[in-house]
Amino acid sequence: MSSIRDRLTSSPEPEPEDSAPGFAEHDTRSAGGSGAAESDPVAVSHHGANADTKRAELAVSGLFLLAALGAVGFIATYIAWPFKYGESGYQYYTPMLGITMTLALVGVGAGAVLWAKTLMIDEETVQERHHLNSDPEDRAGAAAVLKQGAEESGLMKHPILRRSFLLSQAALAVLPIPLLFGLGHFQHKERALAKTGWKKGSRLLDELGRPVKMGDLDVGGVKSVFPDVPGGRRMADSAALLIRMRPDQLKTTKNRENWVVEGHIVYSVICTHLGCPVKLYEQQTHHLFCPCHQSTFDAANGAKVLFGPAARNLPQLAITVDADGYFVARDDFYEPVGPSYWERKPSYKEPTYDGTAL
Amino acid sequence: MRTRVSNYAVVVLALVMVGGLYTAFMSPKSKADDTTNQSTAVASGKQLYLQGCSTCHGLNNQGLTGPSLIGVGSAAVVFQVESGRMPLASGSAQAPRKKVKYDRTQIDQLAAYIQSKGGGPMAPTDAQLDVSDGDLSLGGDLFRTNCSSCHNFAGAGGALTRSKFAPALKAADARVIWTAMQSGPESMPRFSDNTLTPQEKKDITKYVRFITTQNKDPGGAALGHYGPIPEGLTIFLVGIGLLIVVTLWIGARA
Repeated sequence: MSSIRDRLTSSPEPEPEDSAPGFAEHDTRSAGGSGAAESDPVAVSHHGANADTKRAELAVSGLFLLAALGAVGFIATYIAWPFKYGESGYQYYTPMLGITMTLALVGVGAGAVLWAKTLMIDEETVQERHHLNSDPEDRAGAAAVLKQGAEESGLMKHPILRRSFLLSQAALAVLPIPLLFGLGHFQHKERALAKTGWKKGSRLLDELGRPVKMGDLDVGGVKSVFPDVPGGRRMADSAALLIRMRPDQLKTTKNRENWVVEGHIVYSVICTHLGCPVKLYEQQTHHLFCPCHQSTFDAANGAKVLFGPAARNLPQLAITVDADGYFVARDDFYEPVGPSYWERKPSYKEPTYDGTAL
Repeated sequence: MRTRVSNYAVVVLALVMVGGLYTAFMSPKSKADDTTNQSTAVASGKQLYLQGCSTCHGLNNQGLTGPSLIGVGSAAVVFQVESGRMPLASGSAQAPRKKVKYDRTQIDQLAAYIQSKGGGPMAPTDAQLDVSDGDLSLGGDLFRTNCSSCHNFAGAGGALTRSKFAPALKAADARVIWTAMQSGPESMPRFSDNTLTPQEKKDITKYVRFITTQNKDPGGAALGHYGPIPEGLTIFLVGIGLLIVVTLWIGARA
């Protein structure tokens, strides 16, 4: 390849390792047996270069053609290839799109690289740059125009006008600053981050939307539960875990005595560190374990942090049973679930409930 | 020495006889046959228990160094013994899967014996283990809600606290998967028939067997099924490396 380029640019420095016919005149050792090469080196060199050039041109054109075919193939695949599940050949739909688009892009790229390496002139030149500033005449002209404008507009003659104009400009510059504060935390009057989908009296639904009742869980059992509100099972902040342990294993504080029902206890599963789902429950140790940063919570003791970077206990949902024996929430979580945020208060008041069911 | 040898001989003879008896009664025609069968199994199971398990679990299943087995049910026996976790070789954070020490008949006898001591969650019937009528897609939904947080979305397992771990599910057959859900071994929560109905257990079992045995990894290398982090790292190292090589080649003076 180098031989072609060097021929084309008439490079005076042949590369000694290149033993192509074009360089036979410079390499007497390798040209030993070739009488023709020695007798008419220029003719041979031109002939060889032309053949190589032609071959390179064909190769580059071939790649460009392949790219064009790839693009056409992509469009054809996109329109005509079966993609619905179960149709014959549907599983090749995405791979075919990928292959054709790869051809279209890589064909152009590879063609361009090959083109540059074989057919383009390879020459290092220095481009002279002039100074970026305008020449003195232009600058003087511009200054004169500005000065003339200032005088003709009367800005220099009328100081009151000048000052009021400057004042208006300064005020305009200050105008966006209050708007910046609107982006911040004055917005969250609704406490959107502090609320979840749980409401007083909403039943605990399982992953298939069935309400969970007493007896559904054995001791040592768990169930992911969601609030019984429209879209409740898709509310990422409302996911909770219902755990059953022996009532004597469960430690409750005085405030939270009526938050649990016979060893059934519900916690938010959103980690208070960075919000991963804490659903790895070890039923022998009653540990709730977060897979992201190994925060460990003691489910038998108010989800107290035992280990890891989480700074707060998992919020507990107060539950009871309704008239039909289904578990219901006594209210929303009393504190915001999940990680800390600016507007979060350092602590929230825990409500107490008397023993009556809802 | 002589007494030990003769002891072994007696045990082997008893086992052969029991096995023979069991086989003889294997085609239950009537309720009476079934009961006889059951009591034979319980008796044989007791023998096996006294030899292999009572050192840790106590002569009366009350538990010594190991836990009490009263009320754990046949599901726990099938899970622990059929996956080779019991008999335990040595104390560690968690019983590892080992070579299975008992054959299927012996396991069923042990299970029948433990079931007779206080009941408990039962091992599934063969009909329940036939997962051909299970719903694969529903099983996937249930797996992702109930199982994947510990066992990984592809059943590759994962770490728990203090050297415990949720095992990979590839080695588990349908009976082991089912009895694990049913009995809640070690750290694993228990999923009783009220929590996950037998049909749902069947769906989950079908799904687990599907992802661990039939999933073909269409992307090529599975990279341990650990998901985006090793996949991203691999494509970053390999991809960036390739790009550097290509860039060098493009920029190289010919």
